[in-house]
Amino acid sequence: MAKKLTETIIAKAEELFDQVEVMAGYSKGSNPLKVSPCFIEKKQDLDQLIFDKLCINNLATYAYRLSKQVKGNIGMVLKPCDAKAVNQLISEELIDRAACKMLVVGCAGVLDHQKISRHLGGARVFSANIGPETIEVETAEGKKELKTADFYADKCHWCSISDQDMGGDVFVENQQKLQAPKKDRFEDVKQLEKLDLDQIEAYWKDEFSRCIRCYACRNVCPLEVCQDQCIVHLDFPNWQSQKVVPSENKFFQLIRVMHLAGRCVECGECQRVCPQNIGLLKMMKKMNQQIETLFNFTPGMDVEAKPPLLTYKTVEENIEEEELI
Amino acid sequence: MTEQEQKSPKKEARIVAFLCNWCSYAGSDAAGTARLRQPENLRIIRVPCSGRINPLFVLKAFSEGADGVLVSGCHPNDCHYTDGNFYARRRLEALKEYLPFIGIDKNRFSYQWVSASEGQRWQKVVTNFVKRINSIL
Repeated sequence: MAKKLTETIIAKAEELFDQVEVMAGYSKGSNPLKVSPCFIEKKQDLDQLIFDKLCINNLATYAYRLSKQVKGNIGMVLKPCDAKAVNQLISEELIDRAACKMLVVGCAGVLDHQKISRHLGGARVFSANIGPETIEVETAEGKKELKTADFYADKCHWCSISDQDMGGDVFVENQQKLQAPKKDRFEDVKQLEKLDLDQIEAYWKDEFSRCIRCYACRNVCPLEVCQDQCIVHLDFPNWQSQKVVPSENKFFQLIRVMHLAGRCVECGECQRVCPQNIGLLKMMKKMNQQIETLFNFTPGMDVEAKPPLLTYKTVEENIEEEELI
Repeated sequence: MTEQEQKSPKKEARIVAFLCNWCSYAGSDAAGTARLRQPENLRIIRVPCSGRINPLFVLKAFSEGADGVLVSGCHPNDCHYTDGNFYARRRLEALKEYLPFIGIDKNRFSYQWVSASEGQRWQKVVTNFVKRINSIL
């Protein structure tokens, strides 16, 4: 099944390739549980492309950077959830719709390879055969059969995007449908909110005491386009000290939250790349939850929509101003 | 801070106030000129417009140890720059609801509208806000 899908993608990519200068897609990774992003500049290299359940990376991360580096159009292989990030970039006029050719692939859910390796106790994997029901892996400790449903990426459990919504320039249909069991999107947010303020503060202090400020979360984010011009690197005004202490680490994350308010598409890349496994996505989800209740806006769904914090209404229906008198 | 200071019950609340140049700053000035009595806990920072206030200003103030943050600008529809306070309202409301999630009591933050002629209103806002902060501390 996966082979047939890959073949269709390569065929469609070939059709699209005449219009683009570089094509970003997935290729085989360094081990059987990983895929790696690849950038194809020659048509004959298109057969490197693959697509399977392990394609968890969000290639929209490269959309802005590629569009600045390349003179012509860029092409990208995207899952519907990745296309959301590109849509958001387009709606903010950060990239040009016409210069970005999207090859959207219908998605049946992606697997989190970190969950699989954790389950296997970090044993070396020689081969993996991923089916819709089971995953057969051959490790240094022998053959094992795992249930696919246990290893879906978190975002797949609350995915509600219908494939056609994300249109793109070319759409490749996937015969398989999403099988990840449904979970509440705000489960972890609600759990944290049950605690009282001191406990919440202690929780974040504990989380951010692990942070090493590698900035991987910022660098991987498809919507944080400022990258090296980030305000944390400024000397004047000195937004952030160089100290790696929980309060400063938390403040760095708050900068991200505020800069992504009403923009974050919850692709979960920040949490995935975090080497210290800090629960960053909760922070983003909480802000998104508020933006949804206050302004009834979901990022990345509509290219025409104006981002909620870049516009206003003279009378806000959902804002109740407090009177201190 | 020494241990003794921490234990002392009369800890003075430190409040950072961001006031817009055209309404609230003039309003607080009017309160002063009219010799209205008000608490001295505020450290006032004058900004051109409430739309100038980045939510990160507020978060930075909290992370540097402020007990409370007060933002005040022109009334909606009265902004010197036409629409600065409308943008501010959206940002600050989003921020306000977010504070409890990072372990900050949302009563420690408030945004208010005070115009240049409302010295009395300013006095009430400050008095009530300081009272509220003191009750939390």
